[in-house]
Amino acid sequence: MTAPVGVEAMNVYCGVAQIPVPALFAGRGLDPARLDNLMMRQRSVALPCEDPVTNAVNAARPLLDRLGPETVSRIELLVTSTESGLDLSKSVASYVHEFLGLSRACRVLEVKQACYAATGALQLAAGHIASGFSPGAKALVIGTDISLVDEDAAYAEPAMGNGAVALLVGDRPEVLTLDPGAFGLYSYETLDSARPGPTFDIADADRSLYAYLDCLSHSFRDYRSRVETADYATTFDLLAMHTPFAGMVRAGHRKMMREFAGTLPAAATDDFERRVAPSLVYPAAVGNMCSGSVYLALASLVDHADVSAGARVGLFSYGSGCSSEFFSGLVDARSARAVGAAGIAGHLAARAELSFDEYAGLLPATRRSLLPERDVVLEPERHAGLLARYGDRRDLLIRTGTKEHHRTYEWAVAGSR
Amino acid sequence: MTRADVTGHLVAAVAEVLPGVPVELIGGDRHLRDLGADSVERVEIIVAVLDRLGLDEPLSSFTDLPHVEAMVDFLCERSSR
Repeated sequence: MTAPVGVEAMNVYCGVAQIPVPALFAGRGLDPARLDNLMMRQRSVALPCEDPVTNAVNAARPLLDRLGPETVSRIELLVTSTESGLDLSKSVASYVHEFLGLSRACRVLEVKQACYAATGALQLAAGHIASGFSPGAKALVIGTDISLVDEDAAYAEPAMGNGAVALLVGDRPEVLTLDPGAFGLYSYETLDSARPGPTFDIADADRSLYAYLDCLSHSFRDYRSRVETADYATTFDLLAMHTPFAGMVRAGHRKMMREFAGTLPAAATDDFERRVAPSLVYPAAVGNMCSGSVYLALASLVDHADVSAGARVGLFSYGSGCSSEFFSGLVDARSARAVGAAGIAGHLAARAELSFDEYAGLLPATRRSLLPERDVVLEPERHAGLLARYGDRRDLLIRTGTKEHHRTYEWAVAGSR
Repeated sequence: MTRADVTGHLVAAVAEVLPGVPVELIGGDRHLRDLGADSVERVEIIVAVLDRLGLDEPLSSFTDLPHVEAMVDFLCERSSR
């Protein structure tokens, strides 16, 4: 019998600001008829004083505070996954390791595989934990990204989010116990979306949508070849998927039900509402977090579905380029407590609501936040007003600039109550 | 299966997803987006026509097809295999 391995605890950070998607549609002159299939309510917005380092630290810091120093001292592996890299050599993880105050006896890595990367890191970390090479060791996997899209991205702009998800991986899983050996893979080379430079993304919407859906089908087929009794319609009580926009997950689920259960879309609605919709509550309020997206969907599921009697969750992770994995795990009442401790709904509700003009005014500076410049000064006072509008009070790491290629950060306070 | 059969299945698939589209618009050098289909609806049309034709074809095969006529050509070729 393999000892249980999985996610012991988690936390998310989705920024201190958001814009309602209808306001962004109106500001850009987008067709409101498209809102129905987008299924997005709000999207998180990064401030110019935020970057993948601050997002990662702001996701993990409250988690480590909850865990306490004894558990934190057992973190022997830190992996940041991001497609928002800052330097071709120096990793985001190196800064994150410093600002989290982790032990120096720690493997520190950054990984890149578009939005799939956190899942690859989670599975490798789980394998390491399961190996027993370092009994009781913990791994901290943080998926962290910021969005660079502007009006050129058209309907993708309202779907992109900002933030990070921190996962503590170990042999006392409470959030998600991975089903050992239950995974399916499907990967091939394609250019569906990419970030060729530090200030812009490129995307081919149809190519990306089709690649995602092909990967969903084929990674599940590979899963089924390893787990012979697996049935898409009956094996999984709940489903959480990488969420580029919530409507895409609905389209994916409809396709899967048609393909693997012979269910036409109209008849799949109840099943979607029961097994999938709870996973979309948070993603529809945040947008695509990239690497952390599927784990925000998992948190949403655990917070909004009744898992008290125990439930098997099917998870689908996809990254452009492309690579994918369908895997599964168990959640139960302990998961509800562990995810509930993160207070995600309260965090999302506390974000300051931006007007379109405020959003558009911030965007040019935010789009420069990954630029490798020798010296930059970001005056902390410049965004103090926005930080004060956060509806809760918390410590927040913010970027103050770059000095001789070394990024600089300081702790600030968000919220005024 | 004849070309007319394949076209009939495509028309039925479009009607399933976009009930208001006039049949005479479904063809020629129009792309599905010219019929008013957004990206999700384009997926659902392709999935529906593949299901009706009993084809197991990756969606990525449809990425570069420039218009409905090319889609019918492609579906005819796959259906004859």
